[in-house]
Amino acid sequence: MTTKAYNLPESLDEALGMLAQYGSNLLVMAGGTLAMPLITKGVSQPERVMGLRRAGLSYVRETGGSVAIGAATPLTQVVNYKGLPLLPQAAHNIGGWAIRNMGTVGGNLFAPPPAGDLVVALLALDASVKLANARRQRVVPLAGFFSGFMANVLEPDELVVEVQVPRPQGDTALLKLGRLHTDTPTVVGVATRIVWEGRKVKEARVALNGVGPYPMRARKAEAMLVGTALDEAAIAAAAAAAAGECEPFSDPIASEWYRRKMTGVIVSRALAQVAA
Amino acid sequence: MASKIVTFVLNGRETEVMVKPLTTMQVVLRDKLGYNATKVGCKEGACGTCTILVDGEPMLSCLLPAEDVEGRQVTTLEGLTPVDGLHPLQQAFFDNYATQCGYCTPGMIMVAKALLDHNPSPTREEIVDALSGNLCRCTGYEPIIRAVEVVAEGQDSRRPAMAERRRDKEIVR
Repeated sequence: MTTKAYNLPESLDEALGMLAQYGSNLLVMAGGTLAMPLITKGVSQPERVMGLRRAGLSYVRETGGSVAIGAATPLTQVVNYKGLPLLPQAAHNIGGWAIRNMGTVGGNLFAPPPAGDLVVALLALDASVKLANARRQRVVPLAGFFSGFMANVLEPDELVVEVQVPRPQGDTALLKLGRLHTDTPTVVGVATRIVWEGRKVKEARVALNGVGPYPMRARKAEAMLVGTALDEAAIAAAAAAAAGECEPFSDPIASEWYRRKMTGVIVSRALAQVAA
Repeated sequence: MASKIVTFVLNGRETEVMVKPLTTMQVVLRDKLGYNATKVGCKEGACGTCTILVDGEPMLSCLLPAEDVEGRQVTTLEGLTPVDGLHPLQQAFFDNYATQCGYCTPGMIMVAKALLDHNPSPTREEIVDALSGNLCRCTGYEPIIRAVEVVAEGQDSRRPAMAERRRDKEIVR
């Protein structure tokens, strides 16, 4: 192991100060579930690592219109927080109990696909991400956070501070297809939220995980649902659109073909659940 | 390399170790302190056999830098085992044939202990859910789930029905 220093800042300011000083030479680690295996195996040999367990970023704060979840909040805390739909189930889909005690909300934003089971739910809830460096902070929509496979809009001196989730309207559903019942890698994950106007769909969110370079919204499927009554025909059309617009990959869990096929199936099941 | 002194409470005893940056608890426990009940499995957080309790919560010692447990309570299987005899969970695992090769057992028991501390009477589903991060390639899990159920039900695990029955069969033959 070549790591020369491991720092555990005691506050956000201290963490941001370290980032300002070392920038991209500093590996930021929250729960360690992603970084530690790579470091142990020598795949990643960071000279300097910053841990966030003591930086005061583990919290769930309810404000007027939204809920702010600190970046270093363990997933177990999300499982137990019942103030928002989708999130407890989505967090529970990740790993086993011990992994959820270690893995964090912010860390899930950096989990390579098919990981990202929490992000897909956050996308359906229109979450935003608060980023900060030593001088300023900014809030970006989660849907605009990712820019490619394991790539995002974060600057080298910036830190993901918290995830902000507006109080959601509408009905939601979340489905994950894996090879096992639990603690299983995702073949495809779908989170959906439908806002109604009378009996018609006013707004639709269909978010996909495991079938693209990062968790993404199926915008064509969403657009097709608006104005429909979410009947069988509308669901079938949206599911076909989602299967068409996703960008799946092959890995030891599932082939590209199977992932695309199942995207259609799981999207239609999730929408049928909302319609029921 | 800037080594640091880390102080924590291990199985009720104040413990101090000198560690290099990012040394995992797995290495500290086994190699530095000689606490070998915590096993080395996948070293990537996938198998659960290195599970320890930090302030009563299951965590994977292969993913946990020792610096992170500064000032916290760490429990390993050694901390559960009484001076004489076995912890009720250990006894139940023994009686219900919940160990074969035994490699997963320390992790299974630590998670089961945390589960029963949180929820003294879990359902079967809750037991399965709690143990789902721990792999066992021998038993098929059923005897492990049964062992946890036996302790949860508060039965006298020293006289398990299953072991008695098997012994009777052998005698009849």
